[in-house]
Amino acid sequence: MIRVENLTKKFKLNKKQMLEMKTKDPIKVAVNHLSFQAKPGEIYGLLGPNGAGKTTTLRCLATLIKPTEGEIYVNDYEVQKNPEEVRSSIGFLTNEIKMDEQFDVDYMFRFFGRLHKLSEEQIEVRKRELFPYFGIDEFSRKKIKELSTGMKQKAAIAVSLVHDPDIIIFDEPTNGLDIITARNVTDYLKGLKEKGKLIIISTHIMSEAEKLCDRIGIVIDGQKVAEGTLEELLRATGSKDLEDAFFELYKDARKGE
Amino acid sequence: MREILRKELTRVFGDKKMIFSTFILPVLIMFVIMSIVSSLAKNMANDIDSHTSKVFLVHGPNSYKSYLESKDYFIETTDIESGEEMEAAKKKILSGDVDLIIEFPEDFDQQIENYQKGDEIPQIKTYYNPSEDYSSAAFEKLSNEGLAEYRTMLLGNRIDDVASLTVFTVNSDNEEMVIQDEQKASGKAVGMMLPYFVTILLFAGAMSLGIDMVAGEKERGTMASLLVAPIKRKSIALGKIFSLMIISGVSSLVYVFAMIVLSPMMFGGMRGGSSTEMQFMLLPSQIIMLLLLLIAIAFLYSSIIVLISVFARSIKEASSYIMPAYMIVLIVGLMSMFTTGTPGNKSYFIPVYNNTLAIQGILTQEISPLQYGVTLGGTLILGGVCIGLIVKAFQSEKIMST
Repeated sequence: MIRVENLTKKFKLNKKQMLEMKTKDPIKVAVNHLSFQAKPGEIYGLLGPNGAGKTTTLRCLATLIKPTEGEIYVNDYEVQKNPEEVRSSIGFLTNEIKMDEQFDVDYMFRFFGRLHKLSEEQIEVRKRELFPYFGIDEFSRKKIKELSTGMKQKAAIAVSLVHDPDIIIFDEPTNGLDIITARNVTDYLKGLKEKGKLIIISTHIMSEAEKLCDRIGIVIDGQKVAEGTLEELLRATGSKDLEDAFFELYKDARKGE
Repeated sequence: MREILRKELTRVFGDKKMIFSTFILPVLIMFVIMSIVSSLAKNMANDIDSHTSKVFLVHGPNSYKSYLESKDYFIETTDIESGEEMEAAKKKILSGDVDLIIEFPEDFDQQIENYQKGDEIPQIKTYYNPSEDYSSAAFEKLSNEGLAEYRTMLLGNRIDDVASLTVFTVNSDNEEMVIQDEQKASGKAVGMMLPYFVTILLFAGAMSLGIDMVAGEKERGTMASLLVAPIKRKSIALGKIFSLMIISGVSSLVYVFAMIVLSPMMFGGMRGGSSTEMQFMLLPSQIIMLLLLLIAIAFLYSSIIVLISVFARSIKEASSYIMPAYMIVLIVGLMSMFTTGTPGNKSYFIPVYNNTLAIQGILTQEISPLQYGVTLGGTLILGGVCIGLIVKAFQSEKIMST
């Protein structure tokens, strides 16, 4: 179970960043009083344009950064008070996280398995489950630096799932993947959901959100502007698909500025 | 922490290229450079020794020419006149075409022969160019040594018993004049260079790896993968520091061992302060003291490097931050090389400088237990303070996010 309550994240900008962002305000509010809940057995999607605050929210969930205000509970553990317990419960994948290119996939898989306190036998079992599914066996002995973008992404997904976490947080999980691998990943996530896992993804790909997510939270400028199932969002906006619904909500959000 | 340590060690020890570049290449580079320098210096000395000095004699007396013929100097003399020829010769000295001018008074032999008490003492003038190696060597050989011998010869002609003018001699047949502990003398010779090389190599060896381990991992995004693992950030920091400490410690031991083994080949037989060929051997107590100190230095340097790297967002940034610290270590190493006398207790309270002093002191067996204790304790405490700061920095979102 994940509970996000009034999450606010502010970043202090330096002069260079202020110049780049063409602002005189030294404080950038990346996430603004965002709240949502997600429960086991569902896929919750954070949908929004680039810079909306999706990745920042996920980074707070993964304990990489601390909320400025608000609270986040992961399996009843508060992220700031019990970060190690939170990190044990989640499998986190984001583009900013890379694997050490000097090692091969097998080594990295085992290394992270050991960090999650798995025994060699448990690691071997997980390897037998994940490597064939993502087709990693054929390049498991290759160094990460020798892999293509797609192979790296597959390896990163497998490594993030080594400890069979209850909660899976994936930031743009199909980013950079070919259509077949992307399908593989989304199918695997659906399979995990069937097993009762809680999955949170962030995406800006409408079709992915439509097909994959049970509930969607639309985030614009750090604020949640809508939340619900696909049907609920379409009904509320009077739209025929998610893309139209998103633009309706986006226009409304901009009007308010 | 154990897993992080193991991974970082595997990164180096599990890669043949890394082993070569971290441990073997620096030794090879040092060996090749020092051998070339030593060989060039030797060739230069041989070249000077075998060079035929071009010497111009102004009013060269026959007695001097006879003297020169009786010696086996490699010289080629030319008689010139004073005045214009002399001025032209001086220009040749300046350009390096001539090595030495020896100017005698016009009637030198007569002046010597007809000398009466109260007469003016004739003066021989020599001209040379200290910037030219051949000229300097000719001056040393012919002016300082040769003319002194020539003077004694002429004096012998004037006085039958020249020995009566000798009040005493100094060490003319005292072959045992040097009384010293050969071990200590050898230690002093090694102690002059070793602390410099050890501290520099230790820092340099740890520098590139430490930067890559922290700033490099931040830059490549691999640090974030560790930060989302269920381990304490303190464990990540300690794992990195201790692995760096082990790698830099091993590399420094390899360098020191290589230096001691290869130094006869590199320097063609060092003498240093020793009167005989160097006989350097460490006592068990010295080995233990050195080992403990090297571990402490590796700990301190690794902590300093990791501390600086943790504040950088990229390898490039870390390299520029770390350069001043490297310069300090370089300067301190150089200072210790040229320190004379016995350093006081206060010097052992100066961080980094005390390490080089202590290595010197151990090698020469001149360090006191208090000085050693202060150095070892101070180094460990400072390293500990750095670790405290690193752990704090690892907790900081601002510092750790790129």
